[in-house]
Amino acid sequence: MVPLCYCRFLDRLQLRELKDSLIIFCTDVFSAMLIRATGQNLRLAYLFSLESLDLVKQIEVSEILSSGDIAALIYLWNPFTIVACVGLSTSPVENMAVILCLYGACSRLIPLAAFGWVIATHLSLYPAILIIPVIFLLGCGPDAPPRKLFLQRHQQEEVLNQSKLPLGFSWRPIIHFAFWALLWSVYVLVLCGISLKQFGGIWEMFKSTYGFILTVEDLSPNIGVLWYFFAEVFDFFRNFFLIVFHVNIIFMILPLAIRLCHRPCFLAFVYIAIFSMLKSYPSVGDSALYLGLLGWFVNELADMQFSFFLFCGYFGVSLLSPVMHNLWIWRGTGNANFYFATAMVYACLQIILVVEGVSAMLNHDRKLRNLTTGKPRDAKS
Amino acid sequence: MADTKEKSESNEKPKPRIRPIVRLGIFLIAHSFLVSVVCCTAGVLALFLLPVLAKNTYISENALMPGSASPMLANQHVLEGNRLVNDLTSSNLKSSETGIESQRIIARYMLDLGAEASIHKFHRQLNHFHPLHFFSSPDSGIIEENYSCSSYGINTVGIIRAPRGDGKEAIVLVTPYNALKSGLGEALSIGIAYSVFSLLSQVTWLAKDIIWLVADSRYGEYAAVSAWLRDYQTPKFSSLSTLDAEMCPDIDNLYDLKVNSITGSKFSSSFKRAGTMAAALVLKVRNKSDQFEDTISIYAEASNGQMPNLDLINVVNYLAVHRQGLHVKVEKLWSLLNSSWLKILGEIFESLGKVAKSLNPKWKFGITATEYVEGTATLASSLYYQALGLPTGPHGAFRDYQIDAITLEILPKFSSDKVRHSDILLRGGRLIEGVIRSVNNLLEKFHQSFFLYLLTSPSKFVSVGVYMIAFALLIAPLPIVAASLYVDASSLGNCSKSDKSTPSASLDTDEHSITIGSWMWLNSAKLVFLVHLWGAIVSLIPYVICQIPDCTPTTSFMIWVLLSMLSFLTLYSVLASPLSCAKASQEKEWALVKSVTISSVFIGLGLMSVINFATAEIGALLMVPMCLLARPLKLDVRAGTLRSFSRMIGNLVLGLIAFPPAAFFLLKGMLDGFGSVNVGAFWIWVESLWAWNSATYLFIGMVHLPCWVLCIHILLHTC
Repeated sequence: MVPLCYCRFLDRLQLRELKDSLIIFCTDVFSAMLIRATGQNLRLAYLFSLESLDLVKQIEVSEILSSGDIAALIYLWNPFTIVACVGLSTSPVENMAVILCLYGACSRLIPLAAFGWVIATHLSLYPAILIIPVIFLLGCGPDAPPRKLFLQRHQQEEVLNQSKLPLGFSWRPIIHFAFWALLWSVYVLVLCGISLKQFGGIWEMFKSTYGFILTVEDLSPNIGVLWYFFAEVFDFFRNFFLIVFHVNIIFMILPLAIRLCHRPCFLAFVYIAIFSMLKSYPSVGDSALYLGLLGWFVNELADMQFSFFLFCGYFGVSLLSPVMHNLWIWRGTGNANFYFATAMVYACLQIILVVEGVSAMLNHDRKLRNLTTGKPRDAKS
Repeated sequence: MADTKEKSESNEKPKPRIRPIVRLGIFLIAHSFLVSVVCCTAGVLALFLLPVLAKNTYISENALMPGSASPMLANQHVLEGNRLVNDLTSSNLKSSETGIESQRIIARYMLDLGAEASIHKFHRQLNHFHPLHFFSSPDSGIIEENYSCSSYGINTVGIIRAPRGDGKEAIVLVTPYNALKSGLGEALSIGIAYSVFSLLSQVTWLAKDIIWLVADSRYGEYAAVSAWLRDYQTPKFSSLSTLDAEMCPDIDNLYDLKVNSITGSKFSSSFKRAGTMAAALVLKVRNKSDQFEDTISIYAEASNGQMPNLDLINVVNYLAVHRQGLHVKVEKLWSLLNSSWLKILGEIFESLGKVAKSLNPKWKFGITATEYVEGTATLASSLYYQALGLPTGPHGAFRDYQIDAITLEILPKFSSDKVRHSDILLRGGRLIEGVIRSVNNLLEKFHQSFFLYLLTSPSKFVSVGVYMIAFALLIAPLPIVAASLYVDASSLGNCSKSDKSTPSASLDTDEHSITIGSWMWLNSAKLVFLVHLWGAIVSLIPYVICQIPDCTPTTSFMIWVLLSMLSFLTLYSVLASPLSCAKASQEKEWALVKSVTISSVFIGLGLMSVINFATAEIGALLMVPMCLLARPLKLDVRAGTLRSFSRMIGNLVLGLIAFPPAAFFLLKGMLDGFGSVNVGAFWIWVESLWAWNSATYLFIGMVHLPCWVLCIHILLHTC
């Protein structure tokens, strides 16, 4: 995908393309604004939870830029975003739908969240699993340290201050959300049905959009790993491996949801990173989304390991991948393995990023716990 | 790199049980100095071992079957060729004003054979600065402005349709010919091509069309061939050509052929095409030579160090040596042949080989000292021409379209009698015939043998799997040293942090206070990024300079240096000054900068090794020691020991040598003698690099120069 974008960039600087690219460009800017607003929400929630745990003094929160600003800047200045925008890819639109969904859920605009979710699912199917973080977001509010911690804290102080406790899980907004999601999906489907009447109706649409995504029919090279695998695999195993690869995503949903249920936005980030790694036709636009969202958790992930290594890796791979593609397609001196090697390295980098991100987040929670429970002991001694 | 980094960082947390592989990583990082010395020495040594490790070439593609058929080229064809040579030389004596006469003669000869003949007109295209040419496909060229008729070149193209083929594939034979001042050599090359062509018009085994291109080399051989190829590969549907022909009357003369010729009907002024090209041979005869036997020299390097498939060279080499008894040679760096240190090295390797053979008779890697010296000279020239990234002949134009092509230059034994000419025609013609017959057998395009190799002699090569070892050894210390520096710097940062922090959380500070510890490298990364940005600006400046009319190379170079320094100062004052006050807080900032620099150099060299290996190898030889040794001079001066003093001297010398212009002058002085070196030479060299769209230019501007600047920054660091 990357070299394609580069090539298009070279001969696409013409006026008639400007209109399309303007739409994509506006989409990106709008996404960045939504990311910023959501980031500010998250930051308020973070500060609130720190306050209620009396940890404001111990924890340095970066004051130069708030996490929302950082996330928006990362999203806008990320070369991946720029390349996806210049290449007139549709991924900025898909990204915007996802961000819209998260923004709506964070600021409790249930119809907006439902709309974002329905559109994102309609556009690229994979965001369907974001329903879990959205439910958590609506049910118990944005990211906070584990609820257990608050309870412990207040038991120690033996003053049960209800106002400082995070809210419990409430079902009302979720029912609202379900209602709205149903409404929007019916609406979208009806619209699609009307507009696609002469092209074979809605069933044809399902087959050639979701079916196309799920059966990995197009094996042209991209930065993912599936094209190579399904080009190599024997035909009679194909269905089996299709199931294996898609179940792979589903398998990871539940454990992560249980472990990270107190941090729904981070859960959403992890889900997005996972499906942009395992989806059938990944592009750099998907990476741009989760790298941007990473900026939300700049305070929590400050101690993330391998940051430098990951940076170098992303940098190197994004340069090496077009060169390998060039060597294979244009110069004919390389072969598919050259390019696939970079795709594998890229996948490994994404795995490391997710693993390190999750472990840094869990470490952060552990640190908060130590701070809340350990401090009285220190004071005594 | 991944492993080492991972290991290095897991080093930070003391764990009760450490896995063996992690322990190995920690060991490597802890002994990074030793490891880097060993690896670098091994890398340089492996480079010198390459001629010893070279393997004999073999023909990998079975379908080629070179020499399986006896040559059919007979005296009758040679006579026809001789007739054409005589006609051309005599018409040359008549000296027609535009050389149109000789083109007409060639076209008539082609038509007489029953081949399709056509002419192709092209404009001379000036080389344009096109930095990302490497990534894009060759374009159809910029739409021409108004050219006068005088800047036309005329290629003559003859095509034989294969009786057994479906017209989807073709083999190309190119003979550069300058009608204005052609010597006997060029006429002879056309004679050889014609005798082969006349044979091929009769044979029945032909399965691929034969295209014979007589390239008008008055604007350079490469320009003519690349112009023809561009038009061949990118069909134009405009009526530009007909308009042009009307404008220029003398070209119309050629169309008279249509009327004159009796066999007629096959001559056309429109562009003629055959199928996709399987291979191309460029044939040249050099007339003035002082060889003692008939020799063929092979030129294979195309742009950016790309080589044709090794099988093509193998076929030519096999047929020339074993069938025609010609002596085959490839380019050598002659100055290396007489160097005494290389001879000593060769003798050492020879005696080592003998010792190894006495230990186990099956080990046969010993080569004689003279062989070693010759192999090294050939390897050095192979590396040099690949690293330059300029094609060594018209064959380079073919490689841009993934067509394998080589240039064969026939150097006949010195003599002047006519019999010799026929002999040259016969042997050269049979060689070409054999090669064409082999390529004709191909079922697919060349893919069996190597594309990535270095030649140490016409029949010996070093494949990518071998020479990459030398390169990998050379750059292996980079990630290790970067990791160790990074670990040192970040642990030091943590320590200083813990000293400053309040004693309330003294028990486990690292766990309690939240720092941006793991993101400390961002500042250094910013600096490195800025310097690379500056590098990009510097490499774009010549585009502006070459717009200035009437500039001598020396002044252009001076303007370039001035503008670069100006842009550096601007960037520094605008972007980097707040950085300098931020970095005062960290004592070991230089270590982080060095770590990031080394990582960026590692990425750059790795990238370049894929694009153009030879450039990366030479760059690594210069940059790796400089990067690894760099250390603030102030620290060394403060230490005052002998070791730090010698390191300081080494740093200064490397800092001087590795500066790109300095390295250029040094290399040029070593090869050509220091008398010819002047400042403008560097500009001319750089201009040729970017005019030919060599990736080496980008490498120097965006990897080498920034690396040098960063190393100087580290050397002058105030810590």
